[in-house]
Amino acid sequence: MASHDESSVSRKKSSDSVDEISTFNAENMQINAKIISYSRTFMSIIGGVIAGILGFTGLTGFIFYFLVMAIMSVGLAAKAGFSAHPYFDSWNQILLDGFLGGLLSFVLFWTFAYDMVHIF
Amino acid sequence: MEKKEPWARVSVVGVLGVLLLSHAAYSTIQYRSLLKITDEQFSGPPINVVMELIAGLVLCMWAALTVPGKFLSILPHSDENRVVALPTNLDFMIFNHRGKAFPLSIDAK
Repeated sequence: MASHDESSVSRKKSSDSVDEISTFNAENMQINAKIISYSRTFMSIIGGVIAGILGFTGLTGFIFYFLVMAIMSVGLAAKAGFSAHPYFDSWNQILLDGFLGGLLSFVLFWTFAYDMVHIF
Repeated sequence: MEKKEPWARVSVVGVLGVLLLSHAAYSTIQYRSLLKITDEQFSGPPINVVMELIAGLVLCMWAALTVPGKFLSILPHSDENRVVALPTNLDFMIFNHRGKAFPLSIDAK
């Protein structure tokens, strides 16, 4: 089995000033993106369960989902210390990435919890 | 302390949050059966259930933000990203790559 070497993999970005080529540690970029994805997926599921228990139907539930995602964006920004630069390429990765990705999980657990609590 | 993958770690805070949510769900089911007896409409769970749900939401949010791990710096020149060892597969190292487009900086730390 090939040994997994520990050196970081650099990746070049396009130069934005004279003689300035910025690179990023791609391995850490992936790790940070994974962390955001896990956090948002987990909170989508929890938000779905809460929406089902509260008995939301229709548009109110989706508004609740966007509210939970917005709070998560603030939480993730606080986790990064409100400075995107050492950890991410741009602010969009923290604030908007994966915003809609958890929507299907949310709806699944929303209907599941609603059925469990209000119908059966 | 062994290092586990983020999805394999469980925290006390997260478990507590999920327990609060389950208890709130059970209370709401009981409340609904009570409403069926008195034949009223369900307009919302009682206030203590709402408080419990908010507390569960806050605890789960805390767990969602802290359990997966800390953010790692992506800057190549920061102190914790120093390359301190060569790869072990020296026979497979390639030197004819785009790194030659970098400006030369003789700057030994």
